[in-house]
Amino acid sequence: MAYADLPGVRLAYQQLGEGPDLIFVHGLGANRAYWFPIALQLQARYRITLFDLRGHGYSSRPASGYRPQDFALDLLGLMDHLGIAEAALAGHSYGGAAALEAAVMAPARVRELALFDARIARLQPLMRLHDAPRISAVEHRLAAGLPALDWARLPQVGYLFLEAAARQCLAGVSLAGQAEAVPFGEGRGAQRAARAWLDLLEQTRAREQMDDPGASVEQLRSRLTQPVLLMYGGASRCRPSGLALQALLPQARYEEIAEAGHFFPTRQPERVLAGLRALLDTPALAA
Amino acid sequence: MLDDLIALLTDFTQDWDLDLAGPIGADTRLLADLGFESIDIIQLVVAIQEELLKRKLPFDRLLMKDGRYVDDLRVGEIADYIERSLAAA
Repeated sequence: MAYADLPGVRLAYQQLGEGPDLIFVHGLGANRAYWFPIALQLQARYRITLFDLRGHGYSSRPASGYRPQDFALDLLGLMDHLGIAEAALAGHSYGGAAALEAAVMAPARVRELALFDARIARLQPLMRLHDAPRISAVEHRLAAGLPALDWARLPQVGYLFLEAAARQCLAGVSLAGQAEAVPFGEGRGAQRAARAWLDLLEQTRAREQMDDPGASVEQLRSRLTQPVLLMYGGASRCRPSGLALQALLPQARYEEIAEAGHFFPTRQPERVLAGLRALLDTPALAA
Repeated sequence: MLDDLIALLTDFTQDWDLDLAGPIGADTRLLADLGFESIDIIQLVVAIQEELLKRKLPFDRLLMKDGRYVDDLRVGEIADYIERSLAAA
């Protein structure tokens, strides 16, 4: 089976296609299947590597190591394991934060960087309920599932929605339209994914480590010189991170998907593919 | 091929606490009966290629329809697909 045994963690991965290296990084509560449909569309031109973050999918679940920079070290370690000197990195959500940290740690190894609705805690320390222009029907129902919390006053609601969704999923509550708001899928498989997310929160230090701010603003500004795509949902709570990165990185291309929420890569894959193709086909990079 | 696939699937799902009425067979469905999620499907494909076939096959034609994961798959369908693909190669 395709596993990379790195110090302290075993990562499950798979590769498809041939060509320049392109590595996809999924977000919290998801797994490498998140990017698989898009990877299939690109396998004719790139050698694509998909992997499960630590604590997710078929990778192991160490007790610690859940800061963005820890995930970045896993990513760079996987590149070493696979003999990938440099690659384009594309990450959704927390996977984008991990890819960004990897680019700061090893700028020469990251040819291009594509961030899809990645919240960057250094630039956006808080994520409040009303950071989105509207609260979706699914979010209303999820919040109602944890009624003891005063959602409007909480500093970090992002992971809390995932937790609320996981608890409702395990309780057998099926939420119409939840694919908009959570990545667990449906049916009995979804219950295993939900259980895995709660185990991560309850059995590891992930909850306290995930909001670590990571690289400094000065490091972001000085070390990120490769072409960057920033694609954000117009209705997503992560949008302030995209705008802050755009202000920080003059070479970055910022694209906003009108009305879209956080999980637009599954709902509008054609936009993601077009953005990636434009980024990766930039003529200057062929030289 | 079907027997080999069933053996692999039995091993693959041994820790899942499944409440199947009987043993895994050709009519067993991955999602509805075995509780597969999309990650399990692609992990199973990696296992089939590495442990059973020792080679790659274009499984995406079986797994994806119009850019989305198929709704479900029967074990027998997978075995048929593998045999057809190997015969055509």
